[in-house]
Amino acid sequence: MNNIPIRGDLIPPISESQSKNGNDVQENDGSFGKVLSNKIEEINKLKSDADDAIQKVEFSDSGSIHEAIIAMEKASISFKTMLQVRNKMLEAYQEVMRMQT
Amino acid sequence: MDFLTTFKISGSGLAAQRAKMDVIISNLANINTTRTPEGGAYKRKAVIFSSEPIQESFNDILQAVKVKEIVQIEGSTKQVFDPAHPDADAQGKVTLPDINTVAEMADMITANRAYEACVTAFDATKNMALKTLELGK
Repeated sequence: MNNIPIRGDLIPPISESQSKNGNDVQENDGSFGKVLSNKIEEINKLKSDADDAIQKVEFSDSGSIHEAIIAMEKASISFKTMLQVRNKMLEAYQEVMRMQT
Repeated sequence: MDFLTTFKISGSGLAAQRAKMDVIISNLANINTTRTPEGGAYKRKAVIFSSEPIQESFNDILQAVKVKEIVQIEGSTKQVFDPAHPDADAQGKVTLPDINTVAEMADMITANRAYEACVTAFDATKNMALKTLELGK
């Protein structure tokens, strides 16, 4: 999920020399793509945690049901949060695009 | 994620009540057991809970519950006169576990309700989290 090319659409590519000049603001700032892909990574981890928990219950009979459900709920809530963040960001992006018209 | 702490605490509660349920069921199932691997009649078991602080929360005030140990209550046997029983001694007395079914059932209801309370708390927290997402809509 790392290579979602949203960032490329929004920001002009930084040339090598520019980034070498200690101009690493781009790494830390809240660019659309960066924020979203960080969030997605985090949620992907939670989702795979949930998958593990379910697998434990289903196949090895060692996990407990509530742990699996809690892991699933965690993943679900974070996913919904991510979805809201994405909606808001898309809204902002479209607002910016609308400036041209 | 702040809500994850809540999930951790209610999850520990669920696990603890389930453990208590297991112990109660073990007591009920072994109500007539006269032979055990360690010898003698089955002895009543009880579960002991301990609280433990949740890391990454403020000042260790929030505590999750943990099953500390499951103990065997010594002397929880009774002598019943039943000469026909294969395990009866010379005087015709059998050593049976002294388990009160009614008390165990009451414990079971308590564990059940506590479990339900944890589930309800979990659901309430989840609804809070989902309601938060509706902010500004």
